[in-house]
Amino acid sequence: MNVFNLLFFAIAALIAASTVLAVTRRNLVHAVIYLIFGFFGSAFLFYLFGAPFLAALMVIVYAGAIMILFLFIIMMLRVEAPEERLFPPRQLLPAVVFAAAYVVIGAFLLVQDPSSAAPLPEARTEPSAFGRYVFTKSWLAVEIASLLLLVAMVGALLIGKRPVKEGEE
Amino acid sequence: MAVPFGYVLALAGIVALLGICCAVARRNLIMILLGVEVMLNGAAIAFTGAALRWQQLEGQAFVLFIIAVAAAEVSLGLALIVYLYHRTGSLDPQDYRVLK
Amino acid sequence: MTAAAATDATLIAALLATKLPFVAFAVILVLTRGRPRLSAGLSLAAVTVSLGGAAFLLVRHWGLGRPIEYAAQWVAGGDVSVRVGILLDPLSLIMLAIVATICFLVQVYSLGYMAGDPGFSRYYAFMSLFAWAMTNLTLAATLLQLYIFWELVGLASYLLIGFWYEKFSASEAGKKAFVMTRCGDVAFFLGLLLILVHLGNLDIRELNGPAAGRMSPAVVTAGALLIFGGIVGKSAQFPLLTWLPDAMEGPTPVSALLHSATMVAAGVYLFARLFPFFALSPTALGVCLAVGTVSMLTASTMAMVSRDIKQVWAYSTISQLGLMIMGLAAGGYAAGVFHLTTHAAFKALLFLCSGVFIHAFHSNDMFVIGRQGGRRLRVPAACLVIAAAALSGIWPFSGFFSKELVLGALADLPNPLWVAAGLLGAFLTTYYTFRLIFILLFPAQKGPEKIHSQGAGHNHHGGYAAMAWPLVVLAAVTVVLGFGEHAIVQFLSRPFGPVPAAAHHGWLPYAALGLGAAAVWLAWFEFGRRGAAQIGFVERVAPLHALFSERWYIDRAYRWLLDHVVYRVLSRMCAGSDRKVIDGAVDGLGQATASAGGIMSILHTGMVQYRLIVVFVAIVGLAIYFFVWEHHGR
Repeated sequence: MNVFNLLFFAIAALIAASTVLAVTRRNLVHAVIYLIFGFFGSAFLFYLFGAPFLAALMVIVYAGAIMILFLFIIMMLRVEAPEERLFPPRQLLPAVVFAAAYVVIGAFLLVQDPSSAAPLPEARTEPSAFGRYVFTKSWLAVEIASLLLLVAMVGALLIGKRPVKEGEE
Repeated sequence: MAVPFGYVLALAGIVALLGICCAVARRNLIMILLGVEVMLNGAAIAFTGAALRWQQLEGQAFVLFIIAVAAAEVSLGLALIVYLYHRTGSLDPQDYRVLK
Repeated sequence: MTAAAATDATLIAALLATKLPFVAFAVILVLTRGRPRLSAGLSLAAVTVSLGGAAFLLVRHWGLGRPIEYAAQWVAGGDVSVRVGILLDPLSLIMLAIVATICFLVQVYSLGYMAGDPGFSRYYAFMSLFAWAMTNLTLAATLLQLYIFWELVGLASYLLIGFWYEKFSASEAGKKAFVMTRCGDVAFFLGLLLILVHLGNLDIRELNGPAAGRMSPAVVTAGALLIFGGIVGKSAQFPLLTWLPDAMEGPTPVSALLHSATMVAAGVYLFARLFPFFALSPTALGVCLAVGTVSMLTASTMAMVSRDIKQVWAYSTISQLGLMIMGLAAGGYAAGVFHLTTHAAFKALLFLCSGVFIHAFHSNDMFVIGRQGGRRLRVPAACLVIAAAALSGIWPFSGFFSKELVLGALADLPNPLWVAAGLLGAFLTTYYTFRLIFILLFPAQKGPEKIHSQGAGHNHHGGYAAMAWPLVVLAAVTVVLGFGEHAIVQFLSRPFGPVPAAAHHGWLPYAALGLGAAAVWLAWFEFGRRGAAQIGFVERVAPLHALFSERWYIDRAYRWLLDHVVYRVLSRMCAGSDRKVIDGAVDGLGQATASAGGIMSILHTGMVQYRLIVVFVAIVGLAIYFFVWEHHGR
């Protein structure tokens, strides 16, 4: 039993618990907050796995921007009326069936796969090395991602434009 | 790290499953989008674990792009949700069965 | 089979005689509907050529020994082969002559009778159709060909019976005729198939030859009886006889041509045609004899109480056809055919004379015509008497000789029942015939004479000649034909080898003549003399009168059968099956498709989250696939 082992299980528990809570909250704001906890847990996990830069990115971008955006929208839309039934059975049933199948198959696959027993080595990526890698090996993906962000911004601007009352755009 | 790789994948799978259940079984459009975020989180965990297991930076680079894509898609998705809400006044996916 | 001493002239004459009326039919129907005189001219021209051809063939081949046949393969498959062609032997030559002559005379007569009718062209078109069908039936070389023209003749009959189709009873009668003969034709066709399966072909010469004898007796009997079923239908024998009296709804020339002389005689012709084949089965002959006897007697009784002239002659036709069948079934081939020949002449004459009366007095009722002075139409009256005498078998008219032959054949049978029945039939025939003559021509009560006196002479001066000449010709034939008995019998019997001298029944002519005289006296006593009651002895017995008037309740039986068996059971089953099974299957197919669509549409709930699930399931499936492929498939 290792420190890292314990750390991993603790973080895994944190992530799992907060995600479960996030999924099952009626109040949307609560759900988002719990999910932020979950993302914090992911950040810890990334740091544990030797990707400190990614951990920072998770906190800054994911938990800090995306979830905040969620909060903005939730509060703007003033979604107060809770759903009368959180998990309606006609949707819950397929989800449960699917989940059961998923769990069974996933467990089977994991147990079968020989590489799943391989221990994870220790490692750590310096942010500079990571940056160099990204901008040399996958620079095209970076460009495309930036283009994607541009498109998203333009799209969001267009869609979010008022007025909506006079019918179509 | 004495954790076998399978544990990491199991965690990623559980998180992804939770995301799927959230997207499928909740009656709120925003929760669907939240479920997508959770799924992406699970994918990111899997990729990072894989990068560590195989000692390739490829996995981590991909997580970078996951985050970028998540940002783009959330912004657009929420913009659409706002638009729909202003159009129909409802966030219930049951009310959006025009294509039935 | 190649023709013996075949010359082109024979073939050409036969072809012209049989095919030309069809050309006339087609041309009239398509082109000249609006020009009645042209239509009549075309039809008459075609039938004149037929008559010429028939006369030529008869004269040229009077000494015919072996039959001439021209045939070609039509259907061949496996061990079954059917041919078509023309068969010329004494029987077909005589029949062709009869058919052509009567067709010609009736078409001439129709010029006067049907003058002014709006359907004049249509009438002549159908007459040509009938002439074509009947001549081809006569010369057919195989049974299938005969069957085809048999049906065509039935079609022509339907068209002509229902000629005045605006009249409901006429179209009903046409339908009844067609359906009843069709019932018989089903039996005929079954017999055809049976023979085809067992013999391999349908050639008439094969059937009459030794090859047929090699079939098993059961097959021969069954085939003969089934074919006789067709004869029963076509020749209006018991029990399919009620269509013929109803067929009198058609114009009188049609009745003269089709329903006395030629079409109904086609049944008897078929019997004579297949006489050697039928003779192979004594059982079948016995059945035919019985059926013919029953028909003859019941039809005679029905004629005794009828008021309608044409109905009396219709029943008489049934009765005489029964007599012909009796003669043939008793083994008297030449007797039956000779009676067919003479009957054609005098029965057509009877109808045509009656037609003149009906046309003049606009009524079919013999009492009405008699009271209005029917006797004033001299030529028809005289011809009527001549024909009636022939029908009754009075010397020296042709009927006497032919009836003698038939009664002689009956007397040759071991059982005296048949000849007794024949004599009884002769008695009844004479009785009802002369009943009609006395009522019509020598009415005991003179009614108001002035009513239709102008109708008698002045309407059809032009048409009167057209109607009178065929009467005279037929009357002459009736007088003369009897003396040609010996020659004709020789001619007919030549293919069968030398004719054995028939046992001469000396008592028979005297018995027949005595009975005939007694019947004439009885009829005169009841109808002809002054102060007679004009009620027949049968009519005094009310149940008998009812029985005979109602045609022995045969029509009632058919009605009952139709209502209770066919409509209630069979039709209901068929309609139900049609609705439930066939419609049900087709509708069910549509319904099933719609239901399947309905079920499938559950998937299309439009709920976006279901679609998500589908996506995830697909992805998991892919994962499994890749896993399997990676680890095992490689």
